[in-house]
Amino acid sequence: MQLDIRDIRIHYGKAIAVDGVSIRVGAGEVVAIVGANGSGKSTILEAISGLTPLSSGEIWFGEERIDRLPAYEIVRRGLMQVPEGRRLFPYLSVWTNMQMGASLRKDKAGIRKDMEEVFEHFPILRERRNQKAGSLSGGEQQMLAIARAMVGRPKLLCLDEPSLGLAPIMVNGLVPVIKDINEQGVGVLLVEQNVPLALKVADRAYALQVGKVILEGDAETFRCNDVVRKAYLGG
Amino acid sequence: MLESRWSKLAGLLLLLVILFLVPVIVGGRPYVLHVGVMVLLNIIMVSSLRTIFLSGQISVAHAAFVGCGAYFAGVLAKQFALAPWITIPAGAIMAMVLGVLLGIPFTRVRAIYFAMVSLFGGIFLVDLIRVARTWTGGGTGLSKIPPLAQSFVGQKVPYYYCTLALTIVCLIILWRIEHSRVGMNWKAIAQSHLVASSVGINEAFYRVLALAVGCFFAGLAGAWYAHFNMTLSPDSYGFLPSIFLVMYMLVGGQKSFAGPIIGAGLLYSIPEIFRRLGTAAPLVLGVVMLIVVYLMPEGLAGLYDQLKGQLLKSREERVTKSAAED
Repeated sequence: MQLDIRDIRIHYGKAIAVDGVSIRVGAGEVVAIVGANGSGKSTILEAISGLTPLSSGEIWFGEERIDRLPAYEIVRRGLMQVPEGRRLFPYLSVWTNMQMGASLRKDKAGIRKDMEEVFEHFPILRERRNQKAGSLSGGEQQMLAIARAMVGRPKLLCLDEPSLGLAPIMVNGLVPVIKDINEQGVGVLLVEQNVPLALKVADRAYALQVGKVILEGDAETFRCNDVVRKAYLGG
Repeated sequence: MLESRWSKLAGLLLLLVILFLVPVIVGGRPYVLHVGVMVLLNIIMVSSLRTIFLSGQISVAHAAFVGCGAYFAGVLAKQFALAPWITIPAGAIMAMVLGVLLGIPFTRVRAIYFAMVSLFGGIFLVDLIRVARTWTGGGTGLSKIPPLAQSFVGQKVPYYYCTLALTIVCLIILWRIEHSRVGMNWKAIAQSHLVASSVGINEAFYRVLALAVGCFFAGLAGAWYAHFNMTLSPDSYGFLPSIFLVMYMLVGGQKSFAGPIIGAGLLYSIPEIFRRLGTAAPLVLGVVMLIVVYLMPEGLAGLYDQLKGQLLKSREERVTKSAAED
């Protein structure tokens, strides 16, 4: 098992945001976490990345427990996150933003090769390589956020609501991108409100409601579930 | 792009030639050369302060670290008769060590809160200089510090050239650091420490590193000053001198490497140029600061880009207007 989240609880003050959640991601698997606003999806990702402390439970990455490590140490182990809201370095150029993704790598030739490969995926970024990241459109910023993480050669990539704020045509464009990333042997943990998108790419999914897992299974299980169908798939 | 690089290089070369010719231009007048040395040392101080600023930290104690370097070098030279080539690096290292020691406990403190912590740190360091009067002379200051070289006594020209060389070396090193991976990580942390962590940058380490580099060069300038002025007073390293260094940086333009050079060069010279106005001379400085802060948000270094942008904008507006009229 690549990522193993074991019965975690997270509190914000006295309020409980995540209550006894267990999630597993196998090597090279695409797993989605779906749920409405406030269900605790992004909080789980923040906990995986070391940005939010756990109240109880454990998070294991491979053979190592990571829930007590600082964020940068978790990245060093190959677990990278594309944060919600396309968080970039807005005053740095597209090129520098991508280089920042490779800040832990020392193989300059390898970095250059990977950047060229990423440009093949997102040609618009090549055109805008000298432009400041903050001046890109929402879709382009999302591409850059994913591209930056890809240059870091992660073992597991956590995508937090990549479709948020994107035009429908851009959302559809995310499906082949996520599949391509996965075909390169990278595991993907996808947090999404857009359930149809999540089910198109995920091998398995977890549905969250008020901080608890209410359903777990493959895409077919989700499509057959009445609650999910009515709430997220248009009846 | 290539053309712009060549024009920059040519401008830099011209500036260097002028700086080398200053003693000839001013006819070797000691007072003007003294001011010249002080301008150069202030350029090192403000550029090193900008290094700390690059990582998103606002320090209002930079003068205190200059003072630590100055006093450590001064005490070593006076009490232990050590040569300047030992005392100057020692002063720089002492300022760096103190910067790191004060910085490590506060790596989680950011923005205005870090500025507050640095303020208290600065007050503590200056008080420490006052309290250790056996070594430092306390409030009356430390005098009779040996010069950089015995042959330099009573002369300003050799001091000017040595300080110019030191400034050039320091600026080259600081420029190289800023444009390296380290500098890039500092800028990333300044823009968002959360995103920086999410790409694997160790925020605490790089913030302390910025303090170490900034304080090292501040201490170096201070130690050099000790052997130049040969007298030190703790009043020169308090809160107000630190604020002046911040102002030089802001007025020059903190986003550009040239900003501190322009800011320190101009603002340090203004009170000297308007010395005839007596007590009203600092008013001129205040007016210049107000004008720059009000009209030039990017500082003096950003003035060229600002004017170019405004010119392009007005040209575009004219073209759009004439097209609409047609």
